[in-house]
Amino acid sequence: MKITLKQYNGVATWRWNTETEDICGICRLEFDACCPQCLFPGETCPIVEGTCGHIFHKHCIEKWSNSDKNNKSCPMDRLPWTLVKKP
Amino acid sequence: MPELPGNTAISPATLKRLKNELMGLMMANIKGITAFPESDNMLSWIGSIEGAAETVYSGLKYKIKIKFSNDFPITAPTIVFTTPIYHPNVDKQGNICLDILKEEWSAVYNVQTILLSLQSLLGEPNPASPLNVDAAKLWENQEAYKTALLEHYNQNSD
Ligand SMILES: [Zn+2]
Ligand SMILES: [Zn+2]
Ligand SMILES: [Zn+2]
Repeated sequence: MKITLKQYNGVATWRWNTETEDICGICRLEFDACCPQCLFPGETCPIVEGTCGHIFHKHCIEKWSNSDKNNKSCPMDRLPWTLVKKP
Repeated sequence: MPELPGNTAISPATLKRLKNELMGLMMANIKGITAFPESDNMLSWIGSIEGAAETVYSGLKYKIKIKFSNDFPITAPTIVFTTPIYHPNVDKQGNICLDILKEEWSAVYNVQTILLSLQSLLGEPNPASPLNVDAAKLWENQEAYKTALLEHYNQNSD
């Protein structure tokens, strides 16, 4: 029997490559969804990792770091917040 | 869910997060703590805290008011006791001295963690930063403290 492939519907799911948590501690939304300020998940609403190992939506941690009440510390452990340099 | 008229001034991010908080609290259903929006305005909540067992506050229930700002959780909510409470770290107006609501606030705290911290503050006051000096002094003597506490409670609770 010979099968001819007439049509192919590509269905792909994607997710951010996060190891530990699935939700952003600041907005409490899933990483696979975007932060509450954005409309669409994906490249425009990236997630970032700090040297302490915690991850957040980029937009969420920026809002926290830019508030004047704290000195740019990770909201989880209060260690100084610095981004992991991706090779 | 249709937007309620009282919520027009709330940023979508804060509204989303607060709805999420409410769901979480309802699901967790923790004994001794309650909190929910007072009206159709999601920024203003009322709740209650019951003293934990085996503390002098055991069985005593106090009402609180929670006000969220438009940039919650970047800034901490303001919480006051609306039932007058005799406690070293609460003043006569119900204002609370608790580090996590002030300089130790973090965006990852939620309503549940705040209420549980308040509940433990009842049984474990911080005498180093008293707002009620008399209560702070009396704390050393738990028997006398309990007498004063119950007297105050019976006069003020409904
Ligand atoms: Zn987020
Ligand atoms: Zn975003
Ligand atoms: Zn961290």
